[in-house]
Amino acid sequence: MSFRMKNASSGMGVADHSRDTFVELQRKKLHRYVIYKIDENKKEVVVEKTGAPGETYDDLTASLPEDDCRYAVYDLDFVTEENCQKSKIFFIAWSPSTSRIRAKMLYATSKSRFRHELDGVHYEIQATDPSEMDLDILRERAN
Amino acid sequence: MSDSKTGVKALDSDKTKPKRKLYVGTQALDYRRDHMEVISPLKDGVVVDWDIVDNIWNYAFRQRLLIDPKEHPILLAEPSTNSPLQREKAAELLFENYKVPALFLAKNAVLTSFASGRATSLVVDSGGGSTVVAAVHDGYVLQKAVATSPIGGEFLTDCMMKSLESKGIVLKPRYSFKKKEISPGEYQIVDLDFPNTTESYKLYSTRAIAGDIKESVCRVPDTPFEEAAYANVPMTPYELPDGQTIEIGADRFKVPDVLFNPSLSQTIPGMESIADSTSLRGLPQMVIESINKCDVDIRRELFSSILLAGGTSSMQQLKERLEKDLMEEAPQAARVKVLASGNSTERRFSVWIGGSILASLGSFQQMWFSKAEYEEHGVSYIQRKCP
Repeated sequence: MSFRMKNASSGMGVADHSRDTFVELQRKKLHRYVIYKIDENKKEVVVEKTGAPGETYDDLTASLPEDDCRYAVYDLDFVTEENCQKSKIFFIAWSPSTSRIRAKMLYATSKSRFRHELDGVHYEIQATDPSEMDLDILRERAN
Repeated sequence: MSDSKTGVKALDSDKTKPKRKLYVGTQALDYRRDHMEVISPLKDGVVVDWDIVDNIWNYAFRQRLLIDPKEHPILLAEPSTNSPLQREKAAELLFENYKVPALFLAKNAVLTSFASGRATSLVVDSGGGSTVVAAVHDGYVLQKAVATSPIGGEFLTDCMMKSLESKGIVLKPRYSFKKKEISPGEYQIVDLDFPNTTESYKLYSTRAIAGDIKESVCRVPDTPFEEAAYANVPMTPYELPDGQTIEIGADRFKVPDVLFNPSLSQTIPGMESIADSTSLRGLPQMVIESINKCDVDIRRELFSSILLAGGTSSMQQLKERLEKDLMEEAPQAARVKVLASGNSTERRFSVWIGGSILASLGSFQQMWFSKAEYEEHGVSYIQRKCP
């Protein structure tokens, strides 16, 4: 048990598959996005869904539940002002205000531990309603 | 929960050595007794009398929750600026006196932040005794960025009380009169005299009335309060417990505006000496001050995640006015978003709600500071287990 956790963490574990899927997105570009869910019975963060490289950001937002929390990782491809092709990985903590407080607490307290397992995330977004994770916001952050 | 509960003691003034009998809880407080003082273990949000805290906890466990603390791990919510010494004192009390099996200390602002689904936010907790603005980043309170102010609900209640009194309105505490039915449906007020009632009790009872007036009629104005602008505002009626109906006008807006402009309190007769309000900052200033003490990188996120919590945050139009004032003061590019749970109970008890859920999570069970660890490593080990 790590004592270096500087917060009221929930002690949630991370499944190996969750980490591996992230690496597949990061290094092999196998997925456009990954949606993670907390499995309370197994007490770990697991993969709920992955999106094919051809899918879009809208596909990700459509796959997120309206009233339950999730974590998501999205690989954003964009072109800079100097005409360079770039790619940045976003970690999104999705915690809609309409979800139950219990879910919010669970995901909020488990986030730090999980996030640190994903080595290579460039930016983090916390969103409690769709407007907070609008694609424009991601693009703004990346530039 | 370590919050501003008021213990009560009766001083038997006939004996040379005062023997303290303590009464705890609102039920006990609502019953007037001779020589009974109303006291709080807190001063400026910090515990100064651990004996009273002990009595309050004992009452809570044994009389209200009807549990034996030996059988229940305790999650204690602590002020965001709690000192290491205070934490150890609390831990010692719980392990030694109550023999709790396990303990965890969590900061108020962190619990509120998590309860809203955020690991990073700026928590504005405006309660009864004080207002605390704390920046939470990834579930950790940034100590250097915490701003506190003694202006809370009680201060506002006192402003309302003093303002009404200066206008000649008498707020008769409930114990000081009774209603006598002189004919069916018709009542007469009979004044009762209790010369042995303490000043602190009288004040407590009067404040209860002023507090209800405040909660019923006050609204934060859209723009800073000015006497001239509100001179002819329509009056709102309010019926006092003794049947008297009073009218409240400009005070409806002036009192809440003290949160934004503390020096306003100086214009209320009787409030001049209460606090050195020149050094006090209003809510928007406290928010900006707190955010500016944080790393540049996270300021944007803090501006867009400002959470309102505490009883006083339920004041009408507080959220809207704070958002407006901040949009004017914040740097150009920043998005300002003030969030508050729609439910006033959730706002008031967000800390408790967050704590109760955290403590019940299966995955949290390995985080507790256990009795065995306390006995082996000593009380200072709590700083490691509950950073």
